[in-house]
Amino acid sequence: MRCDKIREMMPDLASGLMGASPEIGGHLAACGACAGKLEEFRRTMELLEEWQAPEPSPYFDVRLQARLREEIAKPQAGWLAWFRRPVLAAALTVLMAVGVGLFFTRSGGIYKSGDDEIAVVESQAQSAEPGTAVSDLQALEKNHDLYSDFDLLDDLEVQHDVVANP
Amino acid sequence: MDRGVLMASLGPRPAGGMQSAMAGGESYTDAEVMLRVKAGDQSAFDFLVQKYRRPLVSFMYRMARNTAAAEDLAQEVFLRVYRSRQTYEASAKFTTWLYRIATNLAVNHARDTRKERPEVMVSLDEPDEETGTTMDVADHTITAEEGLVRRERLAAIRGKVEALPERQKLAVIMHKYQQMEYKQIAEVLKLSESATKSLLFRAYETLREQLKEFV
Repeated sequence: MRCDKIREMMPDLASGLMGASPEIGGHLAACGACAGKLEEFRRTMELLEEWQAPEPSPYFDVRLQARLREEIAKPQAGWLAWFRRPVLAAALTVLMAVGVGLFFTRSGGIYKSGDDEIAVVESQAQSAEPGTAVSDLQALEKNHDLYSDFDLLDDLEVQHDVVANP
Repeated sequence: MDRGVLMASLGPRPAGGMQSAMAGGESYTDAEVMLRVKAGDQSAFDFLVQKYRRPLVSFMYRMARNTAAAEDLAQEVFLRVYRSRQTYEASAKFTTWLYRIATNLAVNHARDTRKERPEVMVSLDEPDEETGTTMDVADHTITAEEGLVRRERLAAIRGKVEALPERQKLAVIMHKYQQMEYKQIAEVLKLSESATKSLLFRAYETLREQLKEFV
């Protein structure tokens, strides 16, 4: 058996987790370096034994039971919990961005659809029969600017009179 | 370590749980007990807590060097086990899974509190902040000087183990103080068995060198 193989086993041999087989014993008897190293390891292991850990305190179980009760009492995470996950939130953001991008590139955007709505209204206006209440309202709507300037037209007439009768 | 006979004293539980299994003298591996936890058997979880509370507090104490933090972290391990019960698969050894959870928690805690942790101090007059114990100088079997030497030695042991690189420290604690086998340490640390042997040899070699004045 080679020295490096023995040394790999030294932590177990020195701490008593492994007994020395006849093969290992034979090597240790013949190799002073390995035997010396093993003895130093044993003493180091004994020294390390001095570091003892305390027992769990009497409150350990009580506190754990309390924490466990809190855990059990917590409402079960429903499907909404998925939305609180950062990865899912990021994925949803990307999806929304892609959706908005597709909307603008494919359909020409919000303004295009607004134009479509105007076109629909105009076609409806064209289809309304003249003389009906609907057509009157549509005419008012279409000529809103003109009707709002009626007062201005009155002023213009007065001015014509001034010019005619100075 | 993984095979536990269910003889622990468990609280009153509904029939059909671990108590009836115990009455039948059955024995289970920890993985089988964990599968019962998964199936909703609360007494099976209590059994695992009773079995592993001491080893986990001891492991956490050596990682956190503080009794209160060690208990808190050990409880957190059990809570994580409980939370993960539905996804538990018996493909890995239970203790490997348990110590992997414990290792992750301990390493994160060490990183979070690195700047808060004081150097190991030695004082005969004040109680140890980490263990709450005071050096018993009134003990007539040891002199005050012997007490001081012993305390210095203990501080050196803790300080030198603490100063090891993280993986070496974990490997030493699992090997020396948790009595875990190379194979299991390798699984927890996600290393090959030969790499673990080599890691442990280097760690003990460092400790041997640095602690030789106390040997």
